[in-house]
Amino acid sequence: MSRHLILDNPAVRRAGLLLTGMAVVVLAIMPIFVVERGQEGFVTNSLLFSFTQMFMMIAMASSWNLTGGFTGYVDFGHAVWFGIGAYGTGVFMTKVGLSFPVATAGGVVVAVLAALLIGSATLRLRGPYFSIAMLATFVAMREIIRIAKPLTDGGEGMTLPPYLNRPLFFYVTLILAVLVVTMTWWLRRTQFGSTLIAIREDEVGADMRGIDTTLHKITVFAISAAITGLVGGLWAYQNTFIDPDIVFVERRTLDIIIATILGGLGTVAGPVIGSVAFYWLRDLMWSHFLHYHLIVTGVLLITLVMWVPEGIVGSLSDRSGATPLGRLLHRDRGARPTTSPADDSDSDDTRGGES
Amino acid sequence: MNGSALLEGRGVLKRFGGLCAVDKVDFQVNEGEIVGLIGPNGSGKTTLFNCITGVHEVDGGEILFKGEDITDDQPYQIARRGLARTFQVIRVYRDLTVEENLLLSRQWGEVPTIRSFTRADRSLHDKAAEIADFLLLGHHLYDKAGILSGGQRRLLELGMTLMPDPDLILLDEATSGINPTLIETIKDRIREMNGRGLTLMLVEHDIRFISDLCDRVIVLNYGKKMADGTPDEIKSDEAVLEAYFGDDGGSDDA
Repeated sequence: MSRHLILDNPAVRRAGLLLTGMAVVVLAIMPIFVVERGQEGFVTNSLLFSFTQMFMMIAMASSWNLTGGFTGYVDFGHAVWFGIGAYGTGVFMTKVGLSFPVATAGGVVVAVLAALLIGSATLRLRGPYFSIAMLATFVAMREIIRIAKPLTDGGEGMTLPPYLNRPLFFYVTLILAVLVVTMTWWLRRTQFGSTLIAIREDEVGADMRGIDTTLHKITVFAISAAITGLVGGLWAYQNTFIDPDIVFVERRTLDIIIATILGGLGTVAGPVIGSVAFYWLRDLMWSHFLHYHLIVTGVLLITLVMWVPEGIVGSLSDRSGATPLGRLLHRDRGARPTTSPADDSDSDDTRGGES
Repeated sequence: MNGSALLEGRGVLKRFGGLCAVDKVDFQVNEGEIVGLIGPNGSGKTTLFNCITGVHEVDGGEILFKGEDITDDQPYQIARRGLARTFQVIRVYRDLTVEENLLLSRQWGEVPTIRSFTRADRSLHDKAAEIADFLLLGHHLYDKAGILSGGQRRLLELGMTLMPDPDLILLDEATSGINPTLIETIKDRIREMNGRGLTLMLVEHDIRFISDLCDRVIVLNYGKKMADGTPDEIKSDEAVLEAYFGDDGGSDDA
């Protein structure tokens, strides 16, 4: 079968895992070498801040990937959970006077409840209709937060008790990213995980095989909302100030979708690789092409979608026959049919011998 | 054979716009039987299957399975009652392995409890392996279904219907696009499954396949039931001969 592809080789996978583990260890000891402002050194507080943002992106992209990648429900309003998590944390801290951990937990609970409520309506829609409904949900939520002035202070925004400890946020988000990725890896291997893939590939078929698809969709949606809500809470506390326009930014959803697709939709490693690549790429664009970084980013994205539609991971694993880059990298495979179920009938036994 | 009615339809009616795809059809499938469902293209065979399995909401009549009314059940509820099916257009999950495909067909037993967040029980893995062997797919157990040939995918679909130990299996053109050797294999397997007490209902265009296997054949034409009897009776029925065998014997159906 398709063992000759780079990422389908167990040794390569093990090496990748080992490298990732080493990267995590290096990252974990990095804050020890942090230098104060004005001092010479590589590890600055702003570098820690950058990594913190990247870890958040990894966690959010992985959680978006659960619905968008595994289950096939492309959510254009995913940042709504980030916003609810952020505002939940903000309201519980400033209006109720709870401590940060309790307030964030509260924010996550609110995000999950909202996801159960909103998901049970929007998840009945499919394809672009679901995507648009979620975008609408996102925009509506921003206005609701603005209007709910007694609770959220509306457009004036809210100031959280300041807590400026860069290494702490660095560690918390690092651990969160590692946990979330490990969880998606585990989830993919469980019965729940394969059910999600089944829903993506053929929801009606899954239904006829006895699977309550709605229940599965809502469950994964809530898990996804919980993770992103938690990130939102952390972000709010780190930023110490939230208002509807800096919390509910369309760009945030877009970024994690781009990162996931760049890395490989529906794969465990995809959101991680994609987030790392996209985060630093964007950073590079900002610092070198400040005035036209969006144009450069745009051209880059179009190129990616045309050449690597299955993402970095997808192009290196056994689905690569379908992508231009994949074909380029693995010419020996030729154009193996990967799609049509009607490619059928010829020689039933020839392939059997290969495995 | 000739046990009590396992599946029963009374005046099943399904309209698509002005077209009556299934026109007040009465039918019965008894425990232990293999019943064939034949008819020219567009005669409503697959539509009837879709009505039984809850894919289509019927516009009239009722469907009973094991004596219980399943007319308004959701597809997944009907499947859980022990009624499994295959599809005219193959529906296996290409991104899942053969084993995962098989396990999937009875994961509903664990959902929505916390156990669905674990891997399936050892006994289920064993069962999946056993079924894969039974259908000559044992050596592909850990391969993605996407690499299987068309015929192997048909066998896998058959295996997926076996996983939940159903009482009745509906096979929708299990032999279309399959080479003759494999058709014989499928035939053997169906006989063996029937020998173990499983009831089957088949939509099929291959008349030899039907007459070899079936105890009874139901003929549909323009959505109406036009005959119901043993294969021999059907073969000598003038009206059936004209409607069915006089028509082209293609393989497409609504």
